[in-house]
Amino acid sequence: MYLKELKIVKNRFIFTIPAFVFHFLFYILPIILMIVLSFFSWDLLSPMKYVGLRNFSQLMKDKWFWNSIIVSFKYTFLAVPIIFVVSLILGVLLQEEDRFSKIMRVFFYWPYMIPMVAAGTMWKWLFSRNFGLVNYIITSMGFKPVDWLDNPTLALFTIVLVQVWVLAGFMMMLFIVGLQAIPEEFYEAASIDGATKFQKFWYITLPLLKNTNISVITLSIANCFRNFTIAYIMTTGGPGYATTVAPLYVYQKAFTDFRLGYASAGSLIVLLISFVIAYTVRKVQEREIEGGKI
Amino acid sequence: MRKTIVIILAVLFMIPVFWTVTSSFKSMSEIYKYPPTIFPKKISFEGYINIFKQSNFMRYLYNTLFVAIISTIITVFLCVSLGYGLAKGTFRHKDFFTEIVVITLFVTAQIIMVPLFVIIKQLGLMDSLWGLIIPAVFTPTGAFTAIQYMKDLPDEFLESAKVDGANEWQIFVKIVIPLSKPLIASLAIFSFTWRWNDFVLPLIVINSGKNFTIQLALATLQGQYGIPLNEILAFSVMSIIPTLIIFLLFQNLFMKGLSAGGLKY
Repeated sequence: MYLKELKIVKNRFIFTIPAFVFHFLFYILPIILMIVLSFFSWDLLSPMKYVGLRNFSQLMKDKWFWNSIIVSFKYTFLAVPIIFVVSLILGVLLQEEDRFSKIMRVFFYWPYMIPMVAAGTMWKWLFSRNFGLVNYIITSMGFKPVDWLDNPTLALFTIVLVQVWVLAGFMMMLFIVGLQAIPEEFYEAASIDGATKFQKFWYITLPLLKNTNISVITLSIANCFRNFTIAYIMTTGGPGYATTVAPLYVYQKAFTDFRLGYASAGSLIVLLISFVIAYTVRKVQEREIEGGKI
Repeated sequence: MRKTIVIILAVLFMIPVFWTVTSSFKSMSEIYKYPPTIFPKKISFEGYINIFKQSNFMRYLYNTLFVAIISTIITVFLCVSLGYGLAKGTFRHKDFFTEIVVITLFVTAQIIMVPLFVIIKQLGLMDSLWGLIIPAVFTPTGAFTAIQYMKDLPDEFLESAKVDGANEWQIFVKIVIPLSKPLIASLAIFSFTWRWNDFVLPLIVINSGKNFTIQLALATLQGQYGIPLNEILAFSVMSIIPTLIIFLLFQNLFMKGLSAGGLKY
């Protein structure tokens, strides 16, 4: 055998082939297929039918599709600022490498490791209207029980809370790495100039965290905009369509109504929107950095 | 002051887990008692016994472990090999190939579930455990980590092996793999956790109860009427135990995340 004399062995391309086979089949091909399918009408049983742009024009008129996009935006833009603030506070509080911080970090990070199905189940039990712990505390203080998951406005806030709980600890770790990278000298110089703790945080820490901020915001947006497990478990999108986020709507179109072409067109729009958000956030932040704020 | 705030926050964060665990050991009458008891008055294993007796828990556990272990082995092999090829290869358009991997970091199963479903169906993998393994073995995050790690491997090791007359296969097996132990460890731990926690892929691939994974079974259980709450809670507790053990054992690896900076051989 002259296997070791082959060119692809010598230049080591052969090592990438197994991974690229799977990468092509389950990442590249699905994207191509999603674009193709979005021009077809298909219910899995009858043959595929080319319909041109009809799926897209129907989507434009689909009230509940747009509703789901708006729900996703509300969900994301409620969750991301809270995640940002909570994880920044946690990061600042736990940035030291002492024993206490190391132990406490575990409690905040762990929710990220809990399977999201189990997380949703636990929180659903906590927020249960008649037997939940949260309503027990509220009623024992003399207030009326709250419809955490049955009130259309409140249900979205409730699942946002769970999303924050899941992601905050992970983002905290990004902040800790970023905070530890800031040189001590900056703070010392500021102390000599008589800066208060808050001034140091506002004028030194925050601007120097720019790169971490970008990662935290982009990753949070990507995670929130695509998540449908929490909504699926806690509310199955309800009441009505109040918590039907876009990926959940697409899932229902595909696997409940069996409109695969229509669902593909929907996912394509969701993918494009999440790309645009991520890209815009990146550009805005980069401009701020170039703008001399640091 | 700082410690007080942190402890209060930690208690708040842990309430759902605490409440689920204590409630799962209550009898059905105690779960719905008002006012609720914090710790069960009488510890009841009813929920746990019932999930073993009435649901196919052992079957789900076997399915989940099978999927998680087999796909982890394949994932580690694919990522290490790809990382090595892309970091140390000398072929043309290497940057382009790396870029293709990086771009797919944005693509998740939720976004591509419809075409993924079609491909899995065409491959004849619907409603089988292999349908949960094969589509998931390549992970962009794992691949990206492996590339970063391999880039930091000093070229001298490879060069000197070459001078000693080793061929490419020998270099990979005898030099690269032993030097990649930390990478392999964290890829394995992360991959196992991802597969254990996965819900989206089982949701679209699996139909019949005998092929359910633990997460899918837990989600389905809740949708059925008449399933006692203590069983659902006991099931939730069981579903988080394996990842909890792994998390506590390899805490440091997790906290550093899969960031390349945290990994040194």
